[in-house]
Amino acid sequence: MFARAHRIWRALTRRTTWENELEEELRSHVERRVEDLVRAGVARDESVRRARMELGGRESYKEQCREAHGLRWPDEVRQDLWYAARTLRRSLGFTVVAALSLALGIGANTVVFSVIRALVLKPLPVPSPNELYFIQASNYPSLSFPNYRDIRDRNTTFSGFVAYRMAPMGLDTGGGAYRIWGYLATGNYFDVLDVLPSKGRFFHAEDDRQPNASPYAVLSYACWQNRFASDPNIVGRTIHINSLPYTVLGVAPAGFRGTELFYVPEIWVPMMMQPQIEGHSWLDRRGDSNSWVIGRVKPGMTVQQAESNLNALATVLAKEFPESNEGLRLSLARPGLVGNMGRAPAEALLGGVMILAALVLVAACANLASLAGARAADRYREIAIRLSIGAGRARILRQLLTESILLSLIGGAAGCGLAVVFLRLLSAWRAPLDFPLQVEVTPDGRVFAFALFVSLVTGVLFSIAPARQVWDANPNEALKGMPSGMGKRRRWAFRDFLLTAQVALCCVLVTGCFVSLRGLARALATPTGFQGRGVSVIGFDLALVRYNQEDGQSFQRHALEAVAQLPGVTDAAYASSIPLSLDHSSTTVFPEGAVDFRDFKGIGANYYDVSPGYFHTMGTRLVAGREFTWHDDARAQKVAIVNETFARKVAGARDAVGRRFLYGRDEPPIEIVGVVEDGRYVTLAEDPTPVLFRPAPQSYNATTVLAVRSSLPEGLMAAEMRRTIAALDTRLPVYGVGSLMQMLGEAFLPARAATIALSAFGLLAVMLAVTGIYGLAAYSVSRRVREIGIRIAVGAQPWHVLQFVLGRTSLLLSIGLCVGLALSLAASQLLSSIVYQASSRDPLVLLAAALAMVLIGLGAACAPARRALSIDPLRALRHE
Amino acid sequence: MDRRADLLPGTLDLLILKAVSLGPQHGYGVLLRIEQISGRGLRIEQGALYPALYRLEHKNLLESKWGASENNRRAKFYRLTAAGRKQLRDEADDWQKLVAAIKAALSARPAEV
Repeated sequence: MFARAHRIWRALTRRTTWENELEEELRSHVERRVEDLVRAGVARDESVRRARMELGGRESYKEQCREAHGLRWPDEVRQDLWYAARTLRRSLGFTVVAALSLALGIGANTVVFSVIRALVLKPLPVPSPNELYFIQASNYPSLSFPNYRDIRDRNTTFSGFVAYRMAPMGLDTGGGAYRIWGYLATGNYFDVLDVLPSKGRFFHAEDDRQPNASPYAVLSYACWQNRFASDPNIVGRTIHINSLPYTVLGVAPAGFRGTELFYVPEIWVPMMMQPQIEGHSWLDRRGDSNSWVIGRVKPGMTVQQAESNLNALATVLAKEFPESNEGLRLSLARPGLVGNMGRAPAEALLGGVMILAALVLVAACANLASLAGARAADRYREIAIRLSIGAGRARILRQLLTESILLSLIGGAAGCGLAVVFLRLLSAWRAPLDFPLQVEVTPDGRVFAFALFVSLVTGVLFSIAPARQVWDANPNEALKGMPSGMGKRRRWAFRDFLLTAQVALCCVLVTGCFVSLRGLARALATPTGFQGRGVSVIGFDLALVRYNQEDGQSFQRHALEAVAQLPGVTDAAYASSIPLSLDHSSTTVFPEGAVDFRDFKGIGANYYDVSPGYFHTMGTRLVAGREFTWHDDARAQKVAIVNETFARKVAGARDAVGRRFLYGRDEPPIEIVGVVEDGRYVTLAEDPTPVLFRPAPQSYNATTVLAVRSSLPEGLMAAEMRRTIAALDTRLPVYGVGSLMQMLGEAFLPARAATIALSAFGLLAVMLAVTGIYGLAAYSVSRRVREIGIRIAVGAQPWHVLQFVLGRTSLLLSIGLCVGLALSLAASQLLSSIVYQASSRDPLVLLAAALAMVLIGLGAACAPARRALSIDPLRALRHE
Repeated sequence: MDRRADLLPGTLDLLILKAVSLGPQHGYGVLLRIEQISGRGLRIEQGALYPALYRLEHKNLLESKWGASENNRRAKFYRLTAAGRKQLRDEADDWQKLVAAIKAALSARPAEV
């Protein structure tokens, strides 16, 4: 800081010295000449006059010397900058509007670019991330653990394979249990990723051999800081996970957040502890695809080689274990977003949003170009004067360019500022979910370089229009009082084109905004298969406090009875999870009479374990049959309630009550006792999915969501339920407490996010369009004050005046509107990638967009129109 | 009527280099020396002198230094650099060739053609 100031200071003082010396040299020259002349007999006054004359104009002379000395270029740049700053300050309104719209345009692009960089472009923060690949099976992102083990041990192209799984755990640090999210990871996890601990050590392959034999934990840096107050003696400390003792081996480095870009794990536990952590084991079940797998290819190996090696293995595995592996295909994907399952939609969404952001920037550019063009026209006289007193066209162009670039840099800096603030907020934002969903977006040098680049391009782009005017300027005509462009008036000016383009872009963005609003409205109105209003929920996982099945079932029953007693509660029930939350389970079923029990021959169905009264509490309509009762217990016939899609697909009839289906070859048949209406289970946009509900008394699940319907406020109910559960078991960590609608936030998140993004862009576009239209209309009025005055004086009616001044603008608006609507129709594909169930081919949306644009046009042209009508002919004619 | 000849374009630099090569000079001194060595036969535009000096200095053909002049006044003295000396030699050669060629051309008679 100091060194830089010093350098600038020295340069400045040197410059002054240089100027002083030049001055002194010239002065002494004149003195000597005068002396010689006096000596030759010329009178002193006359000598001085002659000496000065001989030397010539002092200032232009100095300028020549400076130029000769190579000082002219920086001088001129400095002059240009000063002049530009002065000009911008003089027309403060223009500057503010221009800088603001640029800031918004550049800010929006910077934000979107940063998010894309963080989510799609950025590799995992580990050494040689390009060697890491996520393994997906037939486009499904997970493998079964036995398959993982075989692939790990039998491949020839990978130097290592890790399997891992996100898992919630009940962490007890001594003051009660919390539910935190972490990873179950194979012992070689950190070694294959090549990460080093910041404290202690990581677990290794030899720490992860036998089930339930390696009670070790590695903490994330943030977990160590927040939950253990940066305890310096953390290594070796015993903590309790799910009420069992684990030893902390070490702490991960601060920047390491596991292998997903959207997830913040707090803890890593060896995979062999899975049975203890999750309460049931799938480590030896080849049919349960529960682990995510990442492999590091050997250096020098191509993706094709690795993929074909894996598929050769898959073919072998399919032959050895046809029941679960028939048709197994493996492919590689970039890690970080759960393979292509997460990456493809993320890329489509972000790509679409980036295009919209770019459109906003283009609209801002068009806006500025037309504003700057209008200004340049106003400065025509000034420019003509400068041309006529000898300024070069190139110099004036450079001056204009300096002005534009200065302006766009100001806008860019402001945009960067906005982006940084917004990204901070985004990084700090926690989705209202019972899941550590978080995207770390930190603006870095590349992002700022991007913003700078965009600003410069913008600056150059929007100085094109004024530059053309300078090029065409004719000083003679201008000084004779002829307004610009009058000499050779083109039918269509570049400006007109810019306005049309801008209106069209704005129209596209406004349409997008309406499309997304309508999409959100539709999403909110989607029949979910239950009535969420008035339902409050609370979640707990009995496995976290080591209940066995018998105790767990009786606890669930007690808890249910306790909350049912709460005042205001009309219905109560519990389930293993609720639809549209993040917790999904699926199984494979076979119609009765099936002979082929290979997995891929069966029908995949989501399942929920629900208590009696569940459908009544959730407000799900029973189409046929009955609800579960407490008599549907372990001793009774195995029963299920299915949804309509299940009934149609598996039982082959809409009224499937009394029909049976199977879970597998040697499993007892399940009888369908009821059919409920279809709903949405994983996402709002999904196709009808077969779903079956099992009676909780017959199939115990430690994960429990208690739901009550009540007339009381949901927040109040939730607090009451929390108190009730705490009274029953103080150790039990609860989560996801609140109204059911709140818990469904995740399902509506994409629609909400799209609506917010598109509305923001729409709003930006509207602001730009308003300033653009206003600017041009106001300009067109102010240029023709005299003419309007004459027309009014000779008896023009207000309508004629309006037609005369604004006719062209409204024609341009109409053209822009039509082009914009056509573009929106064409962009239907793009929009539908961003917004759920949205189409711009919706007459209501198109109508609303057209109406909005007309209103915008009217609003923006209103003030100039009033000004045109209020022109006083007398004063107007005296003007100029 | 002034009978002195106008300077041909490009010759001022050459004359300045020559004048300075005879000994370090300040700006006015260069002017006087050119008049002196040209036998007062050339008219130097004073307005062109200093830009030319600065240009030559910028091209590294001259270097300047502040010092005391004959009557103890502060003045900026110009002297030739090594590059300047070489430039002077080259340009003087070129000039001699040009003069010889022009002279030969001008003294041609009809009989010699």
